[in-house]
Amino acid sequence: MTLAMAEQRVDTRREKVVRRFAFTDMIFAGVSRAAAILVLLILGGVAISLVVGSWEAITTFGLAFLTTESWNPVTEKFGALAPIYGTIVTSGIAILIAVPIGIGIAIFLTELCPRPLRRPIGIAVELLAGIPSIIYGIWGLFVFAPFVQTTIQPFVINLFKDIPGLSSLFAGPPYGIGMLTSSMILAIMVLPFVTSITKDVFDTVPAVLKESAYGIGCTTWEVTRNVVIPYTRIGIMGGVMLGLGRALGETMAVTFVIGNAHRISASLFAPGTTISATIANEFTEADGELYTSSLISLGLILFVITLIILAAARYMLMRIGRKAGA
Amino acid sequence: MNNMVSLDKVAPQNISDKAKIEIKNLNFYYGESKALKNISLQLPERSVTAFIGPSGCGKSTLLRVLNRIYELYPKQRAEGEVLVDGKNILDRSQDLNLLRTKVGMVFQKPTPFPMSIYDNISFGIKLYENLSKSEMDERVEAALRRAALWNEVKDKLNASGLSLSGGQQQRLCIARTVAVKPEIILLDEPASALDPLSTAKIEELIDELRADYTIVIVTHNMQQAARVSRQTAFMYLGELVEFDETAKIFTSPQEKRTQDYVTGRFG
Amino acid sequence: MSTIYPRRKATNGIMMVLCGVAAVIGLAWLALILGALLYKGLAGINLAVFTQMTPPPGEAGGLLNAIAGSLVITIIAVVIGTPIGILAGTYMAEYGRFSKLTTVVRFINDILLSAPSIVVGLFVYELVVRPMGHFSAFAGAFALAILVIPVVVRTTEDMLNLVPNALREAGTAIGAPRWIVIRSVAYRAALSGIVTGILLSIARISGETAPLLFTALNNQFWSSNLNAPMASLPVTIFQFALSPYEEWQQLAWTGALLITLTVLALSILARSLTGRREDR
Repeated sequence: MTLAMAEQRVDTRREKVVRRFAFTDMIFAGVSRAAAILVLLILGGVAISLVVGSWEAITTFGLAFLTTESWNPVTEKFGALAPIYGTIVTSGIAILIAVPIGIGIAIFLTELCPRPLRRPIGIAVELLAGIPSIIYGIWGLFVFAPFVQTTIQPFVINLFKDIPGLSSLFAGPPYGIGMLTSSMILAIMVLPFVTSITKDVFDTVPAVLKESAYGIGCTTWEVTRNVVIPYTRIGIMGGVMLGLGRALGETMAVTFVIGNAHRISASLFAPGTTISATIANEFTEADGELYTSSLISLGLILFVITLIILAAARYMLMRIGRKAGA
Repeated sequence: MNNMVSLDKVAPQNISDKAKIEIKNLNFYYGESKALKNISLQLPERSVTAFIGPSGCGKSTLLRVLNRIYELYPKQRAEGEVLVDGKNILDRSQDLNLLRTKVGMVFQKPTPFPMSIYDNISFGIKLYENLSKSEMDERVEAALRRAALWNEVKDKLNASGLSLSGGQQQRLCIARTVAVKPEIILLDEPASALDPLSTAKIEELIDELRADYTIVIVTHNMQQAARVSRQTAFMYLGELVEFDETAKIFTSPQEKRTQDYVTGRFG
Repeated sequence: MSTIYPRRKATNGIMMVLCGVAAVIGLAWLALILGALLYKGLAGINLAVFTQMTPPPGEAGGLLNAIAGSLVITIIAVVIGTPIGILAGTYMAEYGRFSKLTTVVRFINDILLSAPSIVVGLFVYELVVRPMGHFSAFAGAFALAILVIPVVVRTTEDMLNLVPNALREAGTAIGAPRWIVIRSVAYRAALSGIVTGILLSIARISGETAPLLFTALNNQFWSSNLNAPMASLPVTIFQFALSPYEEWQQLAWTGALLITLTVLALSILARSLTGRREDR
């Protein structure tokens, strides 16, 4: 009887504790859920605030904003064409340079590199991916641009001066800074990204698949070309898009060396501008609502472009992730 | 219809002790697929019951219903009744944490928490009881002694639980379970990840614990079932095929499928 | 047969040499940058860098206020961003592991992870700076916090997902409620990974310039007022590097070296933490 009573007491005490547990659990679940929703709200907030901020420019210029080249703070005529052009061209060239080199390094690391060196080089590449872009910018301004000005540009201008088409693409006085210099700095910047993602997706190729290709007498290059790259195509594409997203939104590395000129030139040696460089250079000095609003509109355009690219990249990487998981 | 017939058969005539757990018409679903089909059986108090059967037969699933640990995952649900001391634990009003203090569980792989040996034991006690340091020391010692681990760890109670050997880790998990004073202990293939020597120790331990606890053990090792349990349930494809005294299951089973399994003809 | 095989072999040889060349070019290029940084940056390292304020044009000085400002802004950003990130990651890996919301949050978070940081700066400008009417250190910290969150969310979720389910079941099986299982078992098992995430997020923001340009702005003087513009190392580097004054340019190089060393140290520390984990 006493034993039963004691048990009864234990039970009621436990029940009290359990009620407290249920309450705390509810709170903790609710708070963590709210934090997860906050992540969604941040992206939503970014979108909304950009639309609100650029409203005045949108209503003033309409769609013509996208197709107008002139950018004149004095007359308050603003168009985004030059920065959009600059952003797309510099990023595009950067990707064209970085992707083959990045894939080459990834092949080198997975197939050729002596084992003891693999890890250190892989780690070095990943560490370099973390170096802030302002470092690349300052190097570009003080070391790379002068080198381009005195060595590369005169040589290239001379080389192509009699070839129609190419002569205008590489025309003009050698400033050092300009679109091509920016592209090359961007290429160096996204190189570690492309390399480490490509290397990661290469590692998802099942060893048996590679072994069976080697088994029928394929060379390393043939295995890479016919087995590894087709198998990881989507993943590589994802990595490239991620690098492209990075290049499009990159600010500091470009701002130093692009020249900040609001015009579209045929020559890649000419100064130009990108969306992010324009914002970084002019935002704090912008006077007048319309000027600020136009700059925020540029931000909105950049946001939309990168959003699409990044979403596509994530989608592709998710697909290869699923494949590797299965 | 078939089930109704087999129901009579599975109520063991010669196991007449007071039932601690009474399972009635239990069905279990993983999403759309049905994993347990109309299970009914009674588990007697302070006695060891074994669930045996080939992999995928539902023996582990049935065990995981008894403390409702399956609730951690969505799309898993149980229908029917499971009475513990006459109270239906599948009832929505049943508090899960309270249920689990009453129905402890030890898993296939040792699962020491990432903390010291002492904290591994005191963790569960502290949840529900406010004890002084000396009371707690006593409880921890008692639990470790109960699990036959005290002599091996008494000098290194502050070492990480992960520093113990596999067999010791599993006994630590048993100690952790008995420390919160459950009435029922569920063992999910507790020795399958261990070497033969550690297995023997665990079996010895089960033998000592059965005087005080109602024990349910899932095992794929038939010799183990024969050694430790008093009654055995043989399951196949989600159905309870036969439930009787262990000796009978292994020597003169009623069902051909049981016969085939215990003699090693399949599974 | 006799002509095909040599050709295949030759192709293989050429391609492999090209890959090797790519590796050499890529790594050498990156080495060049680090070399220049060390060479130019080390030349300006002296005690004054850490003890004196940023100088007016044409005079000698240090980076004390910029270093202090960066520390303050970074610390506030981490203090705001980390709990939110850990909680969100906890929801995704624990309470909401199987929910639709988690899939959506994971996708959006991955996008935030690589969204242009200058856009985040614009967002905070619209949200904080414009309503308040002035630039402030707090706005800068807020912008950086938004960059911290996705990094911490990602690593927290990944690391909690690595905690074996058996451990959660074991905690649950002795009657511990979900939040205690998470706090005392899951967090503990994933601790080094979560710390790694925080370190990586600090590495990420310590060099960020773009989001600070029009939030925290800059300040040539010492300021401890969070409600006023504050100097930071990256913005100071930006301003000084583009100036025509040699003293400023030298300080920019030195500042760049300091940032790079910090980022590398944090990344290596983070790596060694998870490295130990894998060994175990």
